[in-house]
Amino acid sequence: MTLEVHKDRPKGVVWEDTAVGLGVLALAALVAWQTSIIPENAIYAKVGPKFFAWISAGLLAIMGAALTYEGVTGGWEHEESGETDWRSLGWLLAGLVLNVALISTLGFIIAGSILFVLTARAFGSTQPLRDAAIGFALALVSYVGFDRLLGYKIGTGLIERLL
Amino acid sequence: MSTRRDVLKTLALTSSAAAIPALWSGAAFAQAPGALQIFVPAAPGGGWDSTARTIEMAMKTDNLAKDFKFEHAPGAGGAVGLPKFLSTKKGAADALMVGGMVMVGSLIANKSPVSMKDLTPIARLTGEANVLVVPAASPIKNIKEWVEAFKKEPGKMSVAGGSAGGTDHILMGMIGRAVGVEPKAVSYVAFAGGGPATAAILGSQVACGTSGVGEFVEHVKSGKMRALAVSGGARVAGVDAPTLKEAGIDVELVNWRGVFGAPGVTPEQQAALVGLVEKMAKGPTWQAELKKKDWTDVYLGGPAFGKYLDAEITRITGILKDLGLAT
Amino acid sequence: MIDTLTQLAQGFAIALTPVNLMWCFIGVFVGTAIGVLPGIGPALAIALLLPLTYKVDATAAFILFAGIYYGAMYGGSTTSILLNTPGESATIVTAMEGNKMAKKGRAGAALATAAIGSFVAGTIGTLGITFIAEPVVNLALKFGPADYFSLMILSFVTVSAVLGSSAVRGLTSLALGIFLGLIGIDLQTGQPRFWFGVTELSDGINVIVVAVGLFAIGETLYLAAQKKSDTPPEVIEIKDSIFMSREDWARSWKPWLRGSALGFPIGAMPAGGAEIPTFLSYFIEKKLSTKPEEFGHGAIEGVAGPEAANNASAAGVLVPMLALGLPTSATAAIMLSAFQSYGITPGPLLFTQQPQLVWGLIASLYIGNVMLLILNLPLIALWVKMLKIPEPLLYGGILMFATIGTYGISQSVVDLILLYIIGGLGFLMRRFDFPTAPVIIGMILGPLAEQNFRQAMTISQGDISVLVTRPLSLSLLLLSALALLGPQIWRLMRGRRVA
Repeated sequence: MTLEVHKDRPKGVVWEDTAVGLGVLALAALVAWQTSIIPENAIYAKVGPKFFAWISAGLLAIMGAALTYEGVTGGWEHEESGETDWRSLGWLLAGLVLNVALISTLGFIIAGSILFVLTARAFGSTQPLRDAAIGFALALVSYVGFDRLLGYKIGTGLIERLL
Repeated sequence: MSTRRDVLKTLALTSSAAAIPALWSGAAFAQAPGALQIFVPAAPGGGWDSTARTIEMAMKTDNLAKDFKFEHAPGAGGAVGLPKFLSTKKGAADALMVGGMVMVGSLIANKSPVSMKDLTPIARLTGEANVLVVPAASPIKNIKEWVEAFKKEPGKMSVAGGSAGGTDHILMGMIGRAVGVEPKAVSYVAFAGGGPATAAILGSQVACGTSGVGEFVEHVKSGKMRALAVSGGARVAGVDAPTLKEAGIDVELVNWRGVFGAPGVTPEQQAALVGLVEKMAKGPTWQAELKKKDWTDVYLGGPAFGKYLDAEITRITGILKDLGLAT
Repeated sequence: MIDTLTQLAQGFAIALTPVNLMWCFIGVFVGTAIGVLPGIGPALAIALLLPLTYKVDATAAFILFAGIYYGAMYGGSTTSILLNTPGESATIVTAMEGNKMAKKGRAGAALATAAIGSFVAGTIGTLGITFIAEPVVNLALKFGPADYFSLMILSFVTVSAVLGSSAVRGLTSLALGIFLGLIGIDLQTGQPRFWFGVTELSDGINVIVVAVGLFAIGETLYLAAQKKSDTPPEVIEIKDSIFMSREDWARSWKPWLRGSALGFPIGAMPAGGAEIPTFLSYFIEKKLSTKPEEFGHGAIEGVAGPEAANNASAAGVLVPMLALGLPTSATAAIMLSAFQSYGITPGPLLFTQQPQLVWGLIASLYIGNVMLLILNLPLIALWVKMLKIPEPLLYGGILMFATIGTYGISQSVVDLILLYIIGGLGFLMRRFDFPTAPVIIGMILGPLAEQNFRQAMTISQGDISVLVTRPLSLSLLLLSALALLGPQIWRLMRGRRVA
């Protein structure tokens, strides 16, 4: 296996990429630790539950080491992260978090509509009312179609109880 | 589909159940068909779901209850669903959960903090015996020869069955213990589901196999597998094989399914549910469905079922320890 | 043969009655709708409709179910291509090239080659069910765990086709996939692995959750995080004809046939499944293509082959089910439980005991395939318009549907959190240019390879030589070596000859 070397990139430590490599190494350590605590009792299984787990830990460790090496020797080519639109990402994450937080209490229709509006906002929409109307209609139609007609239960909630 | 209406019905059902348990006979129910919520701790389409749907159908046809609300909580052989049922349905007199023997083992394997003892036992409904088979080409002709071969070299007697710790595995552990082979040494090959296990036996990839009678009966009838023994208390029609006990192996195991009530219901409410389920289980529709689906009627209601459940939990925990699956 | 044709004709007589035609149509329609949604596959859809078995007769029910089954396979590819949101695990490969084609404005051609390829493969597969079910199932039963393990090794070779620009990052993704596949209770010994005490994880992580998380949620996060420029977002242009060009046809028909040839027999194997033939087909098409450089950027062969393989394997799965009563997939298992609702015991005698039902079902598979083609081709123009939906609404909708697919049935918030975490991972992977396809390959093949290897070792009492003493296993291992080293050896030999 040959490691890539980018001639046009400055040699030296690229912190981001190194962090990814170290992250993979950390995952390998976690997998190894969790593998070591799998009980192995059944003697009939000539190959126990740990064997492939060790393989996966080993593979991750090798790759983590290789990535770390690449990281400290100039990194690899990928998109620069200097221009992250944190505001958009924030809207989107808020939508996901609210969806998780509200779906079991307020129900899919409301939580889904909120998710829809916030996602649209993240993608630059400036018409929250229009988005809310569309999102609500979509959620309502999906709920009736899947939950009521097909029996694919999506749970209950404030609006769901009124239907 | 108004939930508010369901709530009212539930209230009516619970209050009347508490007030007049003695009158809670099928006749009284027929005049006032109620609502039930059925909780299935598995995905739609499996055995527990099919039990639940059949209960719905039989109760509707026999006019025992009219409105059914289903809830599924699949995962981990019931270990995901049970805690959910225990916490969300506490005290609900109209809630029934479908479950069975498999759940006992799953809870242990998942180191679940909850137990089936927390449930209110209602009734054991159906049971299915296992059958031990060999491929048609196998030199082993009967259970006696099988036991000899098994005792001589347990490692060579590879057994195909469902996932480790399930009914099939438990049965092999019990047989091993009964004939003097260490359960942990049974050469058990777990397959994901009855289809792949059946294929492995038909293709002679393994020495023998075990599963519910229903899974193998057609292959036994067509001569592609040879049945050696069945695990229930009696022989099974269409399978020319003795029970394990008849063959001198002191093991009896059926994969039973039943229904449970929520925790915290009063003895009166429990009696009402038992009465309702008993009425259904003795009714014509349920009986006809049992025949059609080849399910064996092992009805056992109320407190007697509770005692049975306790005994099963003790027995299965013991064998899982022997198999090295529980600590 | 004559006998088969007579019975098939009788089957058509049953399937072509207006009532059964209607069931078939409802089936393919519902199936297509369901296939579109990530997380709801044909197995679940049929399970939800099982109570119908109390109301309609057996033939009608099975015609409906067969329609759903084939329909879901079609529907799954549509969202894969348009939205990079695979509805089924077997259409994950389709998303790789198909979505790239859509982004280049060639969604119409991608959808068309998928639809026609599905039709071709579905028809070939159904012909297979009709005429060669018996020999195919006998061959399939010859495969033991050791042979399956070698088949998985062969499939692992396919990862080389999707490693992307760097072997290190590609193999990191693969290792991650293998790890994700190991999560849950071990089938062979019942021991929980990597579940961190979360009961929801003890059945393992659903590969569709990972695919939707990595592809759809990851992509949404990635796009949202990109700095919006002042210029309006570029609208995807729909190039020339929305249908397939002459060149597209020329590049599609062989992959259709090859995909069908891979998918049908592997689908018929009890542990074969629908995903492996799609991987193998992708690999083969990339190797055989005259334009391998287009792979990864929207090569039509990479849609045509895997889609055909997927649909042919769907037909293959029905072979052991009808010939032996063996359910080798979740869908088949649920269809079999429907048989039981009618008091029909599925088994080797099904063909002789229930000829009307079986042949009616087979005939309706042909009809369903034609219906799907008629239903889908005109819809392509409509589907393509979906890409014109403004980004804010499109991605809002994608996230909402991903929620329905994940949260439905179990209503477990844990599953939803898991989906979003994997989405975050997908975002990071895109940011750092890690390919995501190897994760899926590792996750599907890893556990299959592991379980089959350990089954083989238990049966052989730990004797690893079974891998080379069994002829099937040995041939598959040699084939893997050839696929991996063949090109190099070929180059060496050619070089020597020239010199």
